Amino acid sequence: MELDFKLQKIIKKEAEYKSTNLGLNLLISRLQRRYSLNPSQAELDNCLREIKAFFEKYANIMKKDVDAIEKL
Amino acid sequence: MFINLEEAKKLILEGRILHIAAEESLLNQLPKGKWIAGTTPYFITEQGGITSKDKLFVNEITDAVDFKTAVYDRSNIFDITKDAFANGMTFLVMPFASDVAVFYAKEAPNVDDLFMNPVIGWISGYDLSTGSSAKVYDGVTGTAYGDKAVALHISLPDNKTASIGIVNIFSADNDDAVIEFKEDALSVTKCLVNGKETVFSDYITENKIDTQLPLVADYNGVLINVSIKSVSKENKTVDFYAPVFSGKEYRFARPVDDYAASLAEQLKGHKDVKPVFSCNCILNYLYGNLDGKATPPFAGPVTFGEIAYQLLNQTLVYAELIDK
Repeated sequence: MELDFKLQKIIKKEAEYKSTNLGLNLLISRLQRRYSLNPSQAELDNCLREIKAFFEKYANIMKKDVDAIEKL
Repeated sequence: MFINLEEAKKLILEGRILHIAAEESLLNQLPKGKWIAGTTPYFITEQGGITSKDKLFVNEITDAVDFKTAVYDRSNIFDITKDAFANGMTFLVMPFASDVAVFYAKEAPNVDDLFMNPVIGWISGYDLSTGSSAKVYDGVTGTAYGDKAVALHISLPDNKTASIGIVNIFSADNDDAVIEFKEDALSVTKCLVNGKETVFSDYITENKIDTQLPLVADYNGVLINVSIKSVSKENKTVDFYAPVFSGKEYRFARPVDDYAASLAEQLKGHKDVKPVFSCNCILNYLYGNLDGKATPPFAGPVTFGEIAYQLLNQTLVYAELIDK
């Protein structure tokens, strides 16, 4: 839940996190733009679902990023 | 590897999984096999940049445990996300100025799940001194296309994953004017300069802006370039090689005195990369006079656009396979 909260803050641009992973950075940028165009709870949920799916798929190489985001 | 036609044929006939870049007359002579290709006569080899019509740049994907090729047009190009292997990577090659390339350029950043599978590739081109048309090839069928995209989807072993990176020599001056656009577009008339509506071509002319410099936008710390294709004083239009997007803030890149030296400086941070594929932009090659200059550890085709998930300009892109 803590990770969800931090990810929501990143998507809403209330927190900043920059990765060394190109795909994650481009994804964050895309989700921030998408949410800014439609700042609704439903869109936030969609964005959250997409970034969590990314972390799940790349769990083996995203651990450092997840740990760092949880500490934001 | 930068090899001759007979060597390339041999690799194909041995059943190797290959990505190939070469001039059209060479690609037309290749036998069917496990490969895709695109046209370009420009390369940066391990020995340096070169224009060649008698050699091919070939990447063998030795780690692939399975592969499939696919051909797309604008109606189904984003099927690449569902066609990709669960653990793999997709090489995508599209002809310059083709409908599918223009569509991909504009829509890719808005596509759900685009980042779930690594997509790397390039826009194929032609000899600028003679003019021609860009082509792509599906080696499985031996078919060339001028209006479709080809993809090589590879599957990787469970202990490997693909990682995509870029090298961008440009930076933006944060004190410089902020330029914004009201819609996603490959051609614009108006923009906002520091919030004030302005005719973009007039702004460029009046401020004597060097249009060899791209616009740069910050994508969560990643600087993404948009190169200027042409400025029409008569029509008051500015055309780009990749789209500008609404909601993004752009600035013109800082001038680069010595492209090759700047690139070499950037490459110092990538000396441990072991790329399975890389390509660099024709504009970097031309403006930076990279003929004869090598860019270790990167070698590959010189392209009319680069793809690292989305279309990029004036950027070196690369893929490596890393242990999970």
